[in-house]
Amino acid sequence: MESYIGKIREISERLLNDGTVECVVGFRKGTVALTNEPCMITNANDAEALVWDENCRLNLANYITGRKEKIAIIAKGCDSRNIVNHIIENKISREQLVIIGVPCKGMVDKNNPEQLQANCATCTHRNPVIYDELCADLVEEQKDVDRYEDVRKVEAMDTQEKWAFFEDLLSGCTRCYACKNACPLCYCPTCFVDESQPQWVGKGTDPIDIRTYHFLRAYHCSGRCTDCGACEAACPQNIKMRNFTKKLEKDCFDLYGWEAGLTVDQRPPLDSFKLDDPEKFIM
Amino acid sequence: MKVIKIDKNTWAGGIDSLRSGYRLFGPVMQGDAHDYKELTSDETPDLAYTNTRLSPKSVVFPQSEPMFTYSLDESDPEHHLLKDAPKDYSPRAVIGMRPCDAKALALVRMNFDTEEYRDPFWMNSYEATTFVGLACDNPCETCFCTSAGCGPYHEEGLDVLLSDCGDAYVAKALTEKGETFLAAAGWAAEGDASVFEPKKAEAEAKITCKVDSSNLRDKSSLALYDAPFWKELSFACINCGTCTYTCPTCWCFDIQDENKGNEGVRMRNWDSCMTSLFTLHGSGHNPRDQKHQRFRQRFMHKLKYFVDKYDKGLMCVGCGRCVQQCPANIDIRSICNKMNGYEAAS
Amino acid sequence: MKNLMEHMGVEPGRLQFSWISSAESTKFVDVVTKVTESVKALGPNTNYVKKSAAKV
Repeated sequence: MESYIGKIREISERLLNDGTVECVVGFRKGTVALTNEPCMITNANDAEALVWDENCRLNLANYITGRKEKIAIIAKGCDSRNIVNHIIENKISREQLVIIGVPCKGMVDKNNPEQLQANCATCTHRNPVIYDELCADLVEEQKDVDRYEDVRKVEAMDTQEKWAFFEDLLSGCTRCYACKNACPLCYCPTCFVDESQPQWVGKGTDPIDIRTYHFLRAYHCSGRCTDCGACEAACPQNIKMRNFTKKLEKDCFDLYGWEAGLTVDQRPPLDSFKLDDPEKFIM
Repeated sequence: MKVIKIDKNTWAGGIDSLRSGYRLFGPVMQGDAHDYKELTSDETPDLAYTNTRLSPKSVVFPQSEPMFTYSLDESDPEHHLLKDAPKDYSPRAVIGMRPCDAKALALVRMNFDTEEYRDPFWMNSYEATTFVGLACDNPCETCFCTSAGCGPYHEEGLDVLLSDCGDAYVAKALTEKGETFLAAAGWAAEGDASVFEPKKAEAEAKITCKVDSSNLRDKSSLALYDAPFWKELSFACINCGTCTYTCPTCWCFDIQDENKGNEGVRMRNWDSCMTSLFTLHGSGHNPRDQKHQRFRQRFMHKLKYFVDKYDKGLMCVGCGRCVQQCPANIDIRSICNKMNGYEAAS
Repeated sequence: MKNLMEHMGVEPGRLQFSWISSAESTKFVDVVTKVTESVKALGPNTNYVKKSAAKV
C-alpha cells in the first residue's frame, strides 16, 4: 500500500491549494513502531507529512464528528461506512466532505505484524462505499469468508460457559474508555457511564460493572457498527471486545438483512419499522 | 547498609519464607503481558520482564477503593453512621519493581503527604509496603528515565535494589525496612557492592532516547499556556484514560457513592484529566470542555506546573508506558522537546 | 438486547419482551404469570449480581 502515499499527498495538496477544503484529515508517521498518528493538515506544504501503510488502524471518521469546516478525509472501506453513518445520523453533512477513498488491503495486528488484524482478515468491504477521489484502483472484495465463526463458537456454549468466557475476556479491563473514545459511533455528549444522577453503572473495576459497560456500549452500536476494529486496536490491555459487537452484527444481518453504513438512502433497522420485522422474541 | 548475594537456587525458598510475614506482590504474566498482582502461595514474581503494562501504583493506590460504608436502614443500630471500610495494612512487599516506578511513588507521596493534609489510605498502604527493586540491564526503546531524573539503577523510593548477575542477584539494602526484608527471607551471604557502578554505567549507556527539559523551569507558564501548538499536537488524542491509568506518577481520583437499597459505600476510583467531565463543576460550567484544553493541562501539569511547585524535576520518570500504549501515538517525548524549545513570539 | 444478554451468559428466560396494550388486561395477567413462573424456575440470579463494593 506504499504506492498509495504518492496519490494521497498529491490529492491533498491539490485540494488545499485550490481551496476546495480547509483541512485534510489523515495519518502522519508514528514515533513508535507499528503506529501512525492521526493528524490534520491545513497547509498544502504539509501534505508531504501524510503517510499510509498497514498501521493506519484508527478510524478517522472519529475525528470529524460535529465539525463545521470543509474537510478532506482519507477513508478506507470501514471508515467510509462510518462516514455514511455520520451522514445518516446528522453528525456531518455530505457537502462538507471530500472523501479520498483508499481501497484497503488490511491493517496488521499491532501485536503480531506477521498477520492481519482480526477484523481485517474477514473484511468484506475493503473498498470505500462512498468517495470523491480514489487513491488507487479498487481491490477485489474477499468472498467466502466466515465473518461469524467466533460468534458461533460462543453461541454453542451453555449459559455458564458463556458467562465464564466473557468474564475471562474482560478480566484485564481498566475502564480507560480507549475503546469508546476511538469508536466513531460513540459521540454522546454525556455517555451513560458518565451519568451520576442517576448512576446507571458503577465507575470502578467491579467485574459486573465492567461487563455492563461493554455490553451496553455494544448495544448502543447495534446496527451501526462497521467492525472497523478501532476499539480493539486502541485497547491497551488487548481485550477482544468485538465479541460483543460481532454478535449484534450477526443478529442484525440474520434478522433484518442489514449491514451498517452501505448507503445514505436507507435508515438503519433500529431506527425504522417494517411490518415484516421478525417478532420471535416477543412473547 | 548490607549488600547481600542471593544465589538463584535459593530464590524460591527465600520467597516462601517471606510469605508468612508479608503479603507478596510481583509481576506475573497475565494473558499476553506482565502486570502486578498479589502472589498466591505457589506463585513467584516473574523477573524476566522488561516492564509491566500497568505500574505497581495499584498496590499502594488501588484503582477502586472503598472508603467507608453506611446503612440507612433504621433497624440497624449503626444506621446513618459512617464506618471505615475494612482494610488490610499488614506488611506487604512488592518484589521486582523497576527503579522508575519506585521513584514515581516517591514523587506521588509529595502530593499525599503534606503539612496540611496526609491521605490516610495512600500513606497507610505506602508505609506498610517494602519496595524491592530490580535494576534494568536492558532498558527498552521508549525508556527515557535518564532524562527524567531517574535511571535504570536509581535508588530513590526503594528499600532494596537487586541487580541480576547471572546465577545470583546482588541485593543492596537501602533502608532498615530493606534489611528486615532480606533477613526475613533468610538471604544473608555477603555480596559484592562493587558490581553496581559498572552495571549502572552500562545500563545508562543503553538508553538512546534523550528528552530535553532543561529550559522548562525558566519558561513563562503563561507563554507556554498560550502557545499555538496545542491544537495541532492534541488533534490525534482521543481523550481516553490510557496514559493516566498506566502512568506511575498520576494520582487523580474521583469519589462516587454506590448504593444498593439501604446500604451504600463511598468509593474512590482512579480518574483521568483527559475525560471531558473531569472539570465539570456543580454549576454546570466546564472550564476544560474542549480536547485541546485537557491535553494542554496534562502536559503542563507533568512538565511545567509540577516543576515549578516542587522544584524536584519533572512529574515523569521516563518509564515510557504512555508512549507505548497510547492508541493515537501521542508522544510525551516530542511534546516535552517542543515545550522546552518554545520561544514566544515577542 | 435479549440475544446479546443471552450471548454473554444470562440464562434464557430472565429477560422477556411482550407488547400489551392497556386494554388487554387478561393478556397482562397471563404474561406476568408466565414470566414469574419462568424466572422462578430459573432460581435466584447468581451470575449477574453485583456484590457490595465494600466487600470487593
